[in-house]
Amino acid sequence: MDVETVKERAGPREFSPADDMPEKYRKAATRMIQFHANSEIMGAYLEKPFIRQAPSIDRKLAFSAKVQDEIGHGQLLYRAAESLGIKTREEMLDELANGEGKFLNCFHYPMDSWAEVPMIAFFVDGAAMRRQATLKSSSWEPYAHAMDKVCFEEGFHVKHGEDIMARMATGSRKEQQMLQDAFDEWWPRIIQFFGPTDDKSTHHDFSAEVGLKQKTNDELRNAFLDAYVPKAKSYGLEIPEYPRIEEVGDGQYHVEEDDLDWDEFFTVSKNEYEPGKGQIDARKAAQEAVDWVRDTIEGDANLPGSQAAPAAD
Amino acid sequence: MIWEVFRQEKPGDYHTHCGNVHAPDREMAKQFAVVQHGRRKPTESLWVVPQEEVGEVDADEVAFGGTTDKSYRWAMAYTSSTEHAKEVIASQQEQEQAEADRQRGDD
Repeated sequence: MDVETVKERAGPREFSPADDMPEKYRKAATRMIQFHANSEIMGAYLEKPFIRQAPSIDRKLAFSAKVQDEIGHGQLLYRAAESLGIKTREEMLDELANGEGKFLNCFHYPMDSWAEVPMIAFFVDGAAMRRQATLKSSSWEPYAHAMDKVCFEEGFHVKHGEDIMARMATGSRKEQQMLQDAFDEWWPRIIQFFGPTDDKSTHHDFSAEVGLKQKTNDELRNAFLDAYVPKAKSYGLEIPEYPRIEEVGDGQYHVEEDDLDWDEFFTVSKNEYEPGKGQIDARKAAQEAVDWVRDTIEGDANLPGSQAAPAAD
Repeated sequence: MIWEVFRQEKPGDYHTHCGNVHAPDREMAKQFAVVQHGRRKPTESLWVVPQEEVGEVDADEVAFGGTTDKSYRWAMAYTSSTEHAKEVIASQQEQEQAEADRQRGDD
């Protein structure tokens, strides 16, 4: 199939591994899905230490289930990316380990306190879900199928994240202050989740033309603000003065993008931001530490007989 | 030799199991599947898979969903409102449906 035919046929779940897709499509889809998969993994590693810091057993159980889900989403997405025939899962995991693999800006920043947990678990997950729901209509069928399962599970994550935030927002004055401080710090990064404005985005045009992407960065960012600015306010959070956010009527909001630090964003995006580099290396160390598990599993795969399946916990 | 047949109704749908056919090889299995399973119901694509290649694990061997109360894994366990985002509402509805299907299975 040539690129022109792809553009003509592009529609939700239109293309599958049975189709002979041009290399340009397969590379663009790989870049997008690999980024998404990497982000799931790096997000899970960022949140993992907070399983231990969870303030109650209920939170600990729920938060550990959520982190487990995110690793699962990464695996699903590497499968969807692999089905394009450009890179193997091993290659993508190695690229993530050696600092070539790109991932979401928010997961380059360190997290220090429990008050920061809802910044990821509510706002970033909420932003991700807003985007993922549109990707159920991506033209690469395995990607759209992965989104079915991801979106099914994310409802729990977002509501649990909101529950953590609600508890702090109605807690002691100190808890409320910690939440506000975390919000002040994370809010600009959360808005940058959707990337630069369409004029400065380098990859959008082709991905949109071939149906990989359904919405532009700007459309998604605005849709996020419309839902989440009132939500933040409803918990008593004050929206920071910068970046300036203007209500443009009809419950719609618009952000002054020049108020955001795009130099930092692009440094982060290139994996050149110092805390993010530490997080990449920490995950690499974890990958190497469990190499023996993978070696053992692969070594045993050809042995006859099998073990009884464990409970599906 | 028995081949399990999976039918996809529309492009982009999942292939779901719809029955099986007897056939000596893959080519014949595809032809029989077309005749037996693709004639009346809407069909976009069929898969045929040798039955012996299918691995099965069932509820006698494993406790699906685990053995302890895992209500914390469900959106319904949290009282926070979802009305700000239609995709969160949709996710919760899918979870409610899955839970209802599961409980019906327990009856």
